[in-house]
Amino acid sequence: MDVNQYLGLFLEEAREHLQTLNRCVLDLEHDPGNLQILDEIFRSAHTIKGMSATMGYAAIAELTHEMENVLDLLRKGTLKAHAGIIDTLFQCVDRLEQLVEEVVSGQSGGVEVAALSAKLAALAKGEEVPVVVSETVVPAVAEDAVKTDIALNETEEQLVNSAIAQGMQVFQLIIGIREGTLLKSVRAYMAMKALDELGDVIKTDPLVEDLEKDNFGQEFSVVLVTEIAADKVRETILSIAEIETVIAIPCASTEARVNRPQIAEKAGVAAIAETISEPAREAMKEAPKEAKAVDPAAAKAKGRALLRVDAEKLDSLLNLVGELVINKTRLQQIGLSNQLTELSEAIEQMDRVTTDLQGVVMKLRMVPVGQVFNRFPRMVRDLSHSLGKEINLIIQGEETELDRTVIDEIGDPLVHLLRNSIDHGIEKPADRTAAGKNPVGEIRLIARHEGNHVLLLVSDDGKGLKAEAIKQKALEKGLVSKAELDAMDPSDIMRLIFMSGFSTAETVTDVSGRGVGMDVVRTKIEALGGTLELDSTPGQGTRVRIRLPLTLAIIQALLIQVQAETYAIPLGSIDSTINIVPADIRTIQQQEVILLRGQIIPLVRLGRRLGIEQSNDFGEEQELYVVIVQSGDNKIGLLVDSLVGQQEIVIKSLGTILTGIKQIAGATILGDGQVVLILDVNALG
Amino acid sequence: MSEIENVSNELKLIIFKLGREEYGMDILRVQEIKRMMSITRVPSTPSFIKGVINLRGSVLPVIDLRTRLGLLEGELQDSARIIVVLVNEATVGFIVDEVVEVTTIDTTLVESAHALSTGLSTEYISGIAKAENRLFIMLNPDSIVNIQQA
Repeated sequence: MDVNQYLGLFLEEAREHLQTLNRCVLDLEHDPGNLQILDEIFRSAHTIKGMSATMGYAAIAELTHEMENVLDLLRKGTLKAHAGIIDTLFQCVDRLEQLVEEVVSGQSGGVEVAALSAKLAALAKGEEVPVVVSETVVPAVAEDAVKTDIALNETEEQLVNSAIAQGMQVFQLIIGIREGTLLKSVRAYMAMKALDELGDVIKTDPLVEDLEKDNFGQEFSVVLVTEIAADKVRETILSIAEIETVIAIPCASTEARVNRPQIAEKAGVAAIAETISEPAREAMKEAPKEAKAVDPAAAKAKGRALLRVDAEKLDSLLNLVGELVINKTRLQQIGLSNQLTELSEAIEQMDRVTTDLQGVVMKLRMVPVGQVFNRFPRMVRDLSHSLGKEINLIIQGEETELDRTVIDEIGDPLVHLLRNSIDHGIEKPADRTAAGKNPVGEIRLIARHEGNHVLLLVSDDGKGLKAEAIKQKALEKGLVSKAELDAMDPSDIMRLIFMSGFSTAETVTDVSGRGVGMDVVRTKIEALGGTLELDSTPGQGTRVRIRLPLTLAIIQALLIQVQAETYAIPLGSIDSTINIVPADIRTIQQQEVILLRGQIIPLVRLGRRLGIEQSNDFGEEQELYVVIVQSGDNKIGLLVDSLVGQQEIVIKSLGTILTGIKQIAGATILGDGQVVLILDVNALG
Repeated sequence: MSEIENVSNELKLIIFKLGREEYGMDILRVQEIKRMMSITRVPSTPSFIKGVINLRGSVLPVIDLRTRLGLLEGELQDSARIIVVLVNEATVGFIVDEVVEVTTIDTTLVESAHALSTGLSTEYISGIAKAENRLFIMLNPDSIVNIQQA
């Protein structure tokens, strides 16, 4: 069987289940006796096992199988989830993650599972292993089997009769697939293929087409003509992953059946006397019933039909909508310049539709930040353990949604910040007690909407940052001069942390503190069009506020002109636009400045900055346009020649060859096809 | 870096003019040829980067080949074209004075550029092709786009 077409699905499912495992094992650590959690872990492990066995990833299947054995004992209460077991489970999850990544990279054999398997086996043996074969389940299944007896048509009856006359065996096989199995059709296909090798399948219920389309419940029936014994047939089919029950009912010839129908049924019951001896399989029969009550994700999925869509398709959809927005703008311009009322009305209508469409497409790309957050509890746990600290991570607002592009990028900066908090922020329990604090430290990770932005807060109740220590460090590293330091206010000093080459940790650990972290964080956040603020109170903790735009693809911008060139300035970074006369421009030490509401604002002649000749001689009464923008932490005034207007623009990249140009954040295409560059005001200050 | 790696001895070149000289480039690298269009200047870039253009909704940089190769600058005539070329998975436009033809050359008749002592910087040139009594200077688009060398 060609499994490649299922590879994407497998990876996605496997990653999801691994995430569930991670989360649940964490929960289990806090609440070792909780059966619901254990069930969830068990289900995830089992699903991974089934999937990987089908796909032929033996190592994954082997490891999850051993995990199941231990988990089963935990569920039965014969084993207690002590720290050793939890740690081993975590190791298993890590190993499984590596194995899954191996599948992605196409390598194999690099990850070793034997040692862990042995460890799990040892854990399992540490207690008595009760091999329970529950007899009660069997009759129930058997009754089902009798109900779903296949009705044969005349031709088929004849086939059965002649086969029996020739001394061959005819069975009706009722094959049960585990509840919750994802690729039922694949299992059915595998079963059918195996049966074809064993004999002739003369009928299936439902039809083969339906089996292929997944159009059946948990069971399907086949009538098999074979020379092989029922036991052997059953064994072969049961060896297929996720096939849970196989019931073989010998079919008698029509004559015999008419005469002795009761006997045939009884024979059927007898035929299934063999039960599945593995405790794991046994347990799984009951698990799905409980699952319904405790799996909120499944319940949610039931309420709404969900689709998995290739992210690339969404990207191309967004591109198309982008083109549409560009064309709409063009139409608007035509409508305006030609003063056609009818056209304007039509355009207005179209404007509404495109705006809605754009909104919907943007929403499609929105992903809850929880996707990034959910790997943090594990990370915090591992790190704090290895550092001998006790930390409680509180996550809020994980349902807050951000554009997929932002989500992909935000993980690393958050990891840096959390690591900093764990490593440098939170003190050791003894120190905390001495300082009169709760020995268990607290880190909060909060996401929430704030206007057109999403705010991410990372705060800890650790020892905070000492301004003096920062100053000292900055001086030592030669990042600033003494005079510069003296002129700084406290918030400026905090900002020093974000300079490259700065690290306040006294010892460099492998956790954080290579002196690159905060600098990288800042660069990344700014690249995403976000801003970053840090405040800290010595002894009480540190808080980092990250403000991120909701989306990066379509923004509102102000178009301005300098000489013949047009540029776009993102509206988000514009404070205001003002008119001045030349007399309003003053100089402080050669630097031109203007006064805005009593504030001194440096004036940047945009043309000069962009390498264009900009006229220097202004008539005394000439009106000059200044766009006040937020550049980094300061406001600056950009002197431009004229303001064109506000417009929605679709951000396009300048391509790989022109990356890294300061002052330019990207480009956009206007309605008339003209390419206009988007200014990066952070680089203009 | 050689452009001449075909198994057969034939290579199809697009021939274009820069000033009075004829240049050639592997036709397989060429995506399309456009008439001159409005180019948006990009500040803080090397002088040979003329700016960016809108090619059916995507933005791509254009390089003035004359400036890049250190030739004399001249007014662009009506015959000037932008050759859109694939370079390292990116598309780039090259401004040329005129696109002449597509021709097939015999690779065995290509001489290494180092054998000549021209005033041209040889790093952008992969060889000199001879066909009848014409000479084509064969350009290597990869090194032309490599901004680090500028």
